[in-house]
Amino acid sequence: MNAISFRGAGKTYRRSHLGKTTETVGLSGLDLEIPQGEVFGLLGLNGSGKTTAIKLLMGLHFPTYGEVEVLGHVMPEIDVLARIGYAPEAAYLNRSLTGRENLNLFAALSRIPAAEREERSRSMLAKVGLAHAADKRLSEYSKGMLQRASLAQALIHEPEIVVLDEPVTGLDPLAIKEVRALILWLKSKGKTVLFSSHDISEVERVCDRIGILSGGKLVKVMSQAEWRGKPDALENAFAESVSRTDGVGEIKLD
Amino acid sequence: MRTIQAVFAYTVKEHLRHKAWLSAALFGFVLLAGGLVVSAIAQDERARFMLDLGLSANEIIALVSMIFLTVHLILQEVESRAVYLILSHPVRRSDYLLGRFLGTLLSVGGAMALMGLAHWLVLQLFGGVPLGKYLTAWACSFGKTAVMGALSLLLSLALTSEAAAMAFAVFFWILGHFSAEMRFLAERSGNAAIKTAITAFSHAAPDFAHFNFRDHWHGTQPGEAWILWAGVYVVGYCAACLALSVQVFEQKEF
Repeated sequence: MNAISFRGAGKTYRRSHLGKTTETVGLSGLDLEIPQGEVFGLLGLNGSGKTTAIKLLMGLHFPTYGEVEVLGHVMPEIDVLARIGYAPEAAYLNRSLTGRENLNLFAALSRIPAAEREERSRSMLAKVGLAHAADKRLSEYSKGMLQRASLAQALIHEPEIVVLDEPVTGLDPLAIKEVRALILWLKSKGKTVLFSSHDISEVERVCDRIGILSGGKLVKVMSQAEWRGKPDALENAFAESVSRTDGVGEIKLD
Repeated sequence: MRTIQAVFAYTVKEHLRHKAWLSAALFGFVLLAGGLVVSAIAQDERARFMLDLGLSANEIIALVSMIFLTVHLILQEVESRAVYLILSHPVRRSDYLLGRFLGTLLSVGGAMALMGLAHWLVLQLFGGVPLGKYLTAWACSFGKTAVMGALSLLLSLALTSEAAAMAFAVFFWILGHFSAEMRFLAERSGNAAIKTAITAFSHAAPDFAHFNFRDHWHGTQPGEAWILWAGVYVVGYCAACLALSVQVFEQKEF
């Protein structure tokens, strides 16, 4: 069974201002199947539709047309969310709570029985290296610590699918290495991982397959065999497939 | 129910740690203490002056806190994107709204109870007041606060601007004290359209005549039916506002 299926899923953003409506295509008819246990990377420039695809999957956005199916259920479906872990591109956590309180909250929201929550939170904080800061408020956490706390909330309920939106953006090299190890560990546990990134070198190291998005369209899907042992194969494929759609020109060097 | 409980608990924690809210409560105590000094001027009516001043101060501070907190309650979580993580867990949007509202209501109610206790103790210095009567007056203020909280929450979601929601909430609060006058105006109006509009408006705006227990303090006491009806009105009005808030919130994308 596929863990995730996008079936002609599209999203058009409509904005009205002073009677004038403008439309922006966020995602255009995405067809994609991700089987269980696969690590799939979504590659693309800014505004290519990576985050839109993830938000449709998480039920944070509603598709304009088409549908997204997760574990056999058409999204948005509340009960399926208990089987997905999601870490957005930045740690959007409540800063007035401590690390432990945050994890206890997400454990409760993920339907973990009350008797298990404290122990789960404790072990998850230890797992992401935040045991020493468990009782500090998140307002006192550094950026790296917040990112770890965000990963912890995504994993506390031991989800079958882990969705990571640009998990290495803004991290230092050591933290990037740890995130990479985490993704491979999740794969070894049989989890399905979907993550988005700009970073080609990261994607090629951990993914079984990748999809390249450009202007809201899926322009290429590649499997590991197509880039493994072929230096620059993925980078060249990426450069050939994408074009800027954000209206930004190239930097002039003369 | 477990989800509502979890959202409720973190909302209460968040408010308890919110310095602006604590300073509002402190301001209440300062006002009550100030009343003690000022009441010395009203030689013959000191007890009455202290009673009215204390109840009014408690109600005004609670209303201001409630409007401020509920207007920011969801919009701030949307702005900080903390709502992404909450709603990417198996949380019904209605449960989230209800938990946030009830948590805020309890927080403000707790502050009101503290201010009420302090006020009641001060009143003992002036010969005291019957506890039952005092509790009824306090409950009426609390009912008014709950109604304004539910209305402010709805306005914040419908208008998506904190400033506009706050301005409209204050407008409805003022209007709520003139429901009888609005209905009188509607009756006197010769134009059927204006009559319908004013009547509809007078029913949509909260009717604070149901909570004017203080008007009866020194005269004939209203019966149990009056108090019961005030309770029914609070529950009904809050339920209607929350149901509409859920409708608006269900359509939102983050």
